[in-house]
Amino acid sequence: MGSNLFTSALSGMNAAQIGLATTEHNIANANTPGFTRQEVLIGSRAPQSFGGSFLGQGVDVVGVKRIYDEFLTTQVRQEQTQASYLSTYHTVIKQIDNLVADPTAGASPAMQEFFNAMNGVANNPESVSARQTLLGSAQFAANRFQAIDQRLTDIANGLTSQIAGSVNTVNTYAQQIATLNGNIKRAMASSQGQQPNDLLDQRDQLINQLNKEIKVGIQTQSDGTASVFIGNGQALVIDEQAMSLRTIQSASDPSRVDVAYKSGNKTIPLQQSSLQGGNLGAYLAFRDQSLEPARNALGRVALGLADSVNRQNRLGQDLSGVPGGNIFNAAVPRVDKGAYNTGTAVVSAAISDVGALTTSDYQLRFDGTNYTMLRSSDNTATNLGATLPQTIDGFTVSLAAGAAAAGDIFLIRPTANGARDMVVAINDPARIAAAAPMRATSALANSGSGQISAGTVNAPPPTDANLQATVSIAFTSPSTFTVTGAVPAVVGAVAYTSGQDISYNGWTVQITGTPAAGDTFTVTRNTNAVGDNRNALQLAALQNQNLLANGTTSFQGAYGQLVGEIGAKTHELDATSQAQTNMVAQTVASQQSVSGVNLDEEAANLLRYQRAYQAAAKAMQIANTMFDALMSLGR
Amino acid sequence: MRISSNTLFDSNVAAMSQQQARLLQTQQQISTGRRILTASDDPVAATRVLDITQSDAMNTQYAANRGAARHTLSLAESTLQSVTSLLQDVRTATISAGNGAFANSDRQTIAAELSGRLQELTGLANSTDGTGNYLFAGFQSKTQPFVDTSAGMGYFGDDGQRLVQVGASRQMASSNSGADIFIRIKNGNGTFVTQAATANTGSGIASPGNVINPALLTGHNYQVDFTVAAGVTTYSVTDNSTLPTPTVLSAGNAYVSGQAISFDGMQLDIQGAPADGDSFTVAPSANESIFKTISDLIAALNTPLASGGGMAQLTGSLNRGLNNLDNALDNVLATRSSLGLRLNEIDALQTAGDDLSLQFRQTLSELQDVDYNKALSDLTQQQMYLQAAQQTFAKVSGLSLFDYL
Repeated sequence: MGSNLFTSALSGMNAAQIGLATTEHNIANANTPGFTRQEVLIGSRAPQSFGGSFLGQGVDVVGVKRIYDEFLTTQVRQEQTQASYLSTYHTVIKQIDNLVADPTAGASPAMQEFFNAMNGVANNPESVSARQTLLGSAQFAANRFQAIDQRLTDIANGLTSQIAGSVNTVNTYAQQIATLNGNIKRAMASSQGQQPNDLLDQRDQLINQLNKEIKVGIQTQSDGTASVFIGNGQALVIDEQAMSLRTIQSASDPSRVDVAYKSGNKTIPLQQSSLQGGNLGAYLAFRDQSLEPARNALGRVALGLADSVNRQNRLGQDLSGVPGGNIFNAAVPRVDKGAYNTGTAVVSAAISDVGALTTSDYQLRFDGTNYTMLRSSDNTATNLGATLPQTIDGFTVSLAAGAAAAGDIFLIRPTANGARDMVVAINDPARIAAAAPMRATSALANSGSGQISAGTVNAPPPTDANLQATVSIAFTSPSTFTVTGAVPAVVGAVAYTSGQDISYNGWTVQITGTPAAGDTFTVTRNTNAVGDNRNALQLAALQNQNLLANGTTSFQGAYGQLVGEIGAKTHELDATSQAQTNMVAQTVASQQSVSGVNLDEEAANLLRYQRAYQAAAKAMQIANTMFDALMSLGR
Repeated sequence: MRISSNTLFDSNVAAMSQQQARLLQTQQQISTGRRILTASDDPVAATRVLDITQSDAMNTQYAANRGAARHTLSLAESTLQSVTSLLQDVRTATISAGNGAFANSDRQTIAAELSGRLQELTGLANSTDGTGNYLFAGFQSKTQPFVDTSAGMGYFGDDGQRLVQVGASRQMASSNSGADIFIRIKNGNGTFVTQAATANTGSGIASPGNVINPALLTGHNYQVDFTVAAGVTTYSVTDNSTLPTPTVLSAGNAYVSGQAISFDGMQLDIQGAPADGDSFTVAPSANESIFKTISDLIAALNTPLASGGGMAQLTGSLNRGLNNLDNALDNVLATRSSLGLRLNEIDALQTAGDDLSLQFRQTLSELQDVDYNKALSDLTQQQMYLQAAQQTFAKVSGLSLFDYL
């Protein structure tokens, strides 16, 4: 009975001491990331039968448990990976958002300047200084396109190292989680199923960090280890073993890196779209959904501008009376051979119609018999048949050499090089073809009221071989005329209607009014025509025409579309990432309301355990006094 | 609800950093004056801004184009003004040359004056724009358009008219070809021209005539022949253009000086007394350059009067010359009025362009400029929120049970 008093008091003091220790542990770790508050589990000891009744034996510490909610923790993880995905995407896309819409640094002002200079040449075609200004602004426009493209390339290069860095981080975390798995497994085995709370907290914290890099799936095993999965269920950590990721050159596009899965000695390429969430997911999505499409869209504007200006210039005649040539060197589509191609085929592509170009990438596949073209933007597959060349969406693919084998793929990016490779091809201002190569005149002796228009050259280039041959239109009566000099020769009289198109040798003129019999009109080579601005006017008018996207938008419109798309995406990400961050804050707050340390609460616990300890000590003192009293009886 | 001490700090810090971000955004808007700092601030407006900026730039360019067109049009107009007064002087001189009391030498003096005027006219027709580009040479602006050749004044330009984009949908001719101004001038009355034969000895002078029925016009060459027999003057009219032989339309008509002679929709009269065998031709009008008209006048004035029909010949030549000069003046004035109309249109377009520009600026300003009232009030509000958050945070975080232990 006497020893019972001591044991009870001692157990009370013990429990209070463990309670104090746990409270102090909680206070000490109040700021430790990932820490979960701990609580002492106590229970009364089994009672002793004492003369028919049961007498309490004191208290037992059953264990120390962490206050942990599996559901809330998983929820935090899910929100967190999405939040870091969105905010990282937002951070990287802001770089191009700032770039494209800048009122002074975007491509818009450069294009405006180019066309303003073109108007200057139209106003003063004989002025060499106006032409020099035009060449300068053409150079400026080309440089501006190149500079923006270079900036996109810099961002893409930066992205490559960010992806590699992210992959390294993932590997480091995976390794640490695997190590902790081992520690936890052994700790649990040696403590008969008691949980090593702080090790579990550490592992949860590591998983959270990993989850910020890439979205993971977790499965907890009965031995306490956690298996970590990524993507479509590829295991990253199993038991104490960690697999790793690595970056490899993309099989379809050698200029970029793909993330691959390394299992033993084998490297398995992963489907990039399966790597979602987290920083890594954001980098990959930004590159494939925003950066490269932006480069394509920019390239299309540059290509469209260069090609349209070239075509119009080729219809004209320059200051020295020579037919116009190209003002810009336009880019050619980029074709990359698949890394796993087994055939010898070399495929080339060329732009056939800038108006039909899209901003998408394409994949040409050969199945052994037929070629199939897959448009990446909407995954539309078009069967091209068994032979090349074939034309689709404004470009032509041809087999330059060799033969394709079944399963070969080629990545074709029609407009990707458009901005990068835009170069001014001429440096002689006289080469700008402001004039038309032919002119129409009416004979001075004409007595009728017939008037001939200045005439236009029929598009598209190349111009007719006989364009500059002299053609006479002689009226035999006010309603008929004969034509000499046209190729092929015109036999007999042609009926005349005022204002009707008269077209021979690649030009078109109109005659209006009432010519008299004997009146003649002549279309001839436009010699000495330094003051002719007909072609310059047409060149300047290109600014307003809807020449891109199947005639639905102008150069400026297409560029505006790019700015709008990037702006809208950035805007959306700004909003969603902020909302997601708030969401994370909320779920973290509810998770913390369960698992976080509240210092006031701990302060109260300190008092509680202190009092319990003091009370138990008092009980022991009383027992001692009782024992002293008992001993003094015998003196 | 149980609150973790960390949550207290975290949420306050997050709230304050959000407030600070907003404050910075507002501050940047105020310091740049722009509401849209990047496209993402308002993607729709940003795209509209690009579109409108281009429209504005084009509008400004059209204004520059109008300036260029106005310059060349004004040059042409002032040159043609000089041409007009020159032609009026030539006309006055020609009228005075018809004075019957003048001797040959007097007429030669006038001829010399006209020669000087002709040279002056050639100079005006070859005017340049000050940078060596000929105003009236069509597309061949570096080629001198009017050069004296053995066959008379030759035109070496072409019919090209330079167009200028003066508005979004308006191209305006900023030049006129020299051929249209100086060469393509119908002689006679514009439909036909009457002329006495050089061998005439009588005093008959033909009027320029006029068209009385356009439907009957044939465009043929006619001849009016006079016969004087026994003191009675008769005339016949012959159509020389019918093949294979000319057709006599009427013969033996009695002649009365000044009485109308009509055939095939045309009417003219002959005054004076034609001699036997005198004839007059009526031919379709052809183009005659101002240079030729003046040269012909000079030639006529330099020719000494022959006895007999000499004075009638001279009067006929002077009348024809005057008639052609009037046609030339009409043509130049018509060109000038067309230039004036174009200059007026440029002014109208300029006003419209200025209005448009104002509108563009206004829209641009509405789209991208910051509303200072709103921005400043936002700034004050955000500042207040941030201060409140800071002060309450300091108070709340200072509360701890440990302070009382």
